[in-house]
Amino acid sequence: MRDLRGVCGAAVLLALAPLALPTYGMTLLTEALILGLLAMSLDLMVGYTRLVSFGHAAAYGFGAYASGWLLLHTSLPMLAAIPIAALLAGFIAIGVAWICTQASGVAFSMLTLAFAQLLYAVAYKLTSVTGGSDGLAGIPRRPGPLGLHVFVTRNGFYYLVVIVLVAAFVFCRALVRSPFGAVLRGIRENEAKTVALGYNTRLYKIAIVAMSYGLGALAGALYAPFAGFANTELLFWLLSGQVLIMVIVGGSGTLIGPILGAAFFLTVQHQLSNYTEAWALFFGLIFMAFVMFAPEGIWGLLRARFRRNSVLPEYRSDVAGAR
Amino acid sequence: MPLYAFLVVQSVNALSQAALLFFLGVGLTLIFGIMRIVNFAHGAFYMLGAFIGYSAVRLTGSFWLALALAPLAVGVVGALFEFGILRRLYRRDESAFLMVTFGLALVMTELIRLGWGPEALQVAPPPVFSGIVMLMDEPFPTYRLFLAGAGIVVALAIWQFLERTRLGLLIRATSQNAEMVHALGTDVNLVRSTVFGIGCGLAGVGGVFAAPLVTASIGMSATMIIDAFVIVIIGGMGSFPGSLLGAVLVAFVQVFGEYYLPDLALALMYLIMLAVLVFRPGGLLGKEA
Amino acid sequence: MKQYTGVTRRRVAQLALTGSAGLLLPWVRRGSAAEPIKIGAPLALTGPLGSVGQQLKRGCELWIKTQNSKGGLLGREIKLLLEDTGGNPADAVRKAQEMVERDGCNIFTGITLSSEALAVVPKLDEWNAIFISSDNGDGRLTAESFVPNFFRANISAPMGARAVSLFLRSAEFKNFYAIGMDYAWGRNSVAVFESEMKAAKKNFVGSVFSPIGTKDFSTYITKIRQSGADACFVTMAGDDYNAFLSQAGQYRLPEKVQLLSEVIDLTVPRAVGDAAVGLISSMRYCFRFDNPKNKEFVALWSKEYGTVPDNNEGEQWQALQILAAGVEKAKSTETKGLRDALETVEIDDIKGHVAIRKCDHQAVQSGQVVKLAKAEGFDYPVPQIIATFPGDKTAPACKKMTYED
Repeated sequence: MRDLRGVCGAAVLLALAPLALPTYGMTLLTEALILGLLAMSLDLMVGYTRLVSFGHAAAYGFGAYASGWLLLHTSLPMLAAIPIAALLAGFIAIGVAWICTQASGVAFSMLTLAFAQLLYAVAYKLTSVTGGSDGLAGIPRRPGPLGLHVFVTRNGFYYLVVIVLVAAFVFCRALVRSPFGAVLRGIRENEAKTVALGYNTRLYKIAIVAMSYGLGALAGALYAPFAGFANTELLFWLLSGQVLIMVIVGGSGTLIGPILGAAFFLTVQHQLSNYTEAWALFFGLIFMAFVMFAPEGIWGLLRARFRRNSVLPEYRSDVAGAR
Repeated sequence: MPLYAFLVVQSVNALSQAALLFFLGVGLTLIFGIMRIVNFAHGAFYMLGAFIGYSAVRLTGSFWLALALAPLAVGVVGALFEFGILRRLYRRDESAFLMVTFGLALVMTELIRLGWGPEALQVAPPPVFSGIVMLMDEPFPTYRLFLAGAGIVVALAIWQFLERTRLGLLIRATSQNAEMVHALGTDVNLVRSTVFGIGCGLAGVGGVFAAPLVTASIGMSATMIIDAFVIVIIGGMGSFPGSLLGAVLVAFVQVFGEYYLPDLALALMYLIMLAVLVFRPGGLLGKEA
Repeated sequence: MKQYTGVTRRRVAQLALTGSAGLLLPWVRRGSAAEPIKIGAPLALTGPLGSVGQQLKRGCELWIKTQNSKGGLLGREIKLLLEDTGGNPADAVRKAQEMVERDGCNIFTGITLSSEALAVVPKLDEWNAIFISSDNGDGRLTAESFVPNFFRANISAPMGARAVSLFLRSAEFKNFYAIGMDYAWGRNSVAVFESEMKAAKKNFVGSVFSPIGTKDFSTYITKIRQSGADACFVTMAGDDYNAFLSQAGQYRLPEKVQLLSEVIDLTVPRAVGDAAVGLISSMRYCFRFDNPKNKEFVALWSKEYGTVPDNNEGEQWQALQILAAGVEKAKSTETKGLRDALETVEIDDIKGHVAIRKCDHQAVQSGQVVKLAKAEGFDYPVPQIIATFPGDKTAPACKKMTYED
């Protein structure tokens, strides 16, 4: 199928990256892909269900601290710590989702923010577990099981991230194209109607929030052994806002868009700050320009350009059409 | 210090803090109530008020002039922003406002840093309120009394403005049914610009008042924006009395909570917000969500 | 109308894509190198500690300019690699790594926050790079987080607190309270101070911690007043510190309780004005040091920047002087040779005699306590030195953060 070809093509390109990029470029690319996973996970909520979360940093930070702690204090190999951290997060997120979905609209967003800030406050104080404001440092990439060493090196870890991202992408893609995904889109477009059709939208919302947080935590769980540390910056609301920016700038409701948005965001921020101290200014302006003039994001622009498709979605909503 | 004296002093402290929080929250709630815009840049407008206030004091030597000029300037900036940028987004999803005001916050913070430098700047309180009174045998800054009083005055003024003046009536009507107001011949766009300008101006007032207590600094925006949201959510987004209630509640809980439960100080505010959102998602005085 | 929309979007897309491509150009850059000596400084130029990062930047820039005008180091020009980390440890690590791999840099200085330093330090071995700190005070960097490629030229937080407590041993204050910001540095500093007071047989009557970002200190001021202490140790920094001092001044707290702190720079009295009068603090570098080298430095600085050098500016200068001494001793900038040379390097410079000790790479130097007061020629209170202690009294035992006596 055409889509699978696209996915395979992208995967091959990514696999060849170590041959083309210098080592520090690879480091940036790895981090971009990890953030891409985080952004994509948020897209499930924002783009497909219109649940705008201001607290996604909580998923990222929790995943990072969980896998970091496991790697520092147990002898679990990296390949076990990462999924355990993600699953734990997804599990806890069910409870958080249950509370947050009590409300909707702006109140929902504020609840997610409240939870994230609460987690931030706790992480700051619980120095014995989280290292407080210093965080966890010296997180190792423990090899195994069965002596599997290949993912521990820099390029090896990169391939691990690529594999996880591609797998997550395929999973999300299948999810949003399934009947489950159709219900999500129904909730996004008109929740009242979806309820009238007999669906328990609350359950669907809880499910997608839990999955979204779980995948976000997976990204965080990858980050800890990547960087070797986890700190409270990962939980701060500023990061939540930045992930939201990545989703919107990349193109919400498309899964690929947010990944591009993450890469764009990280690259621009990194390079701009090499040139000028006022990078945040240009950054904010670029972002505002996207919101105003290109709401369907980078992916939407690219698609429009290459397909020369003049039937573009109207400025009816921020969400790029469900394609 | 005997208990009643302690309670009195702490209560006055809390009231002065509530005044600051109220200035910050009332603008945010007005903007949301009338325009359904979540203004992420509200903390940046507050900060702008503090910095313009600083410059106004340096230029004119008068805190009172600064108090009059700075909020006006901030209000104008806000109205211009609404006119130039927000107006294009009304047909869009609510999240567009969130995004664009978030971007504005980044831009404004950086512009302020470029304009005034990264250091914190001192703003002295007006000489007439730079002294102390003995409250329960302990020195108490008159500036805080002034602040508490100013909060009450401004709250009353806004209340009367909304209830008694024509513009206030238009604002209240627009929040309930913008189309009808438009059909009756009023330029709704003008009302919106004015409201946004007034909301930002109120944040600017808060900034000028806060500057003698915390100095004008770049970090102001980030710390205050969360506080602003918490007050407004607790009180009810869009509810003017709600912002007052929220400010008073948060201030009192913080002041007394910090004393008796200092370890929970950071988490306290979020716990209240959570509790309110779970049991009354519209806020204490807001409409049901 | 659709056409108009198309043109707008296409332009935006083109702009974004070409702009992004343009930004990637530096990566296509060359790799030939190392004639100039490169010093990497991933500083927090923006963000909450931006003003500290800016001080470090000025220190680096003037030093390098001055050194280059004298022919550089070992006859080679010195080049500064300066980038903004925003105070974020992840960015600090990323940018430092880029400097190592893209620019072949193996010398770092000026990492602003301790959290950034703690994130970078474990990577120094992998990068084969040396980091000479000018600002990081966290005691652990020369204790449990120590790595051989790390050198600390500046006074550490324990050393600063120690100077204050030595001063207090002979001062008339009897009962002490402490307030700190509620995170690692605040808590550590207060803990060190508490044990010092107990060792000095003074009364430590209590402590309280305020969350970062506290704006209203009225409750804390009440607590300090109620504690019955005649002196209070304040471990704060940045906006919180300014807010606390401003408000404490408004409540006339300093009239009743002497405020003490472990570190101060001139941005604080500039921000709070008269509220800082009477504050006693340890100061890492003070423009008032009375020796020829410092007078020369202060004159040079005033000429270039129009003000006296601040705390971190002087520390950065000293760090680079130590680095230069090490490079000249090793006759190279290659990591192993430089490390060996730095381990036993000594200089006589703006702070007098300073010597790196081999066991934990801490620069042993005298500690000083200052008191802020109004002075001629300044429109804000400035430090007067009221006590000086020799290095061997203020430095802790090797790889330790506490003191025996």
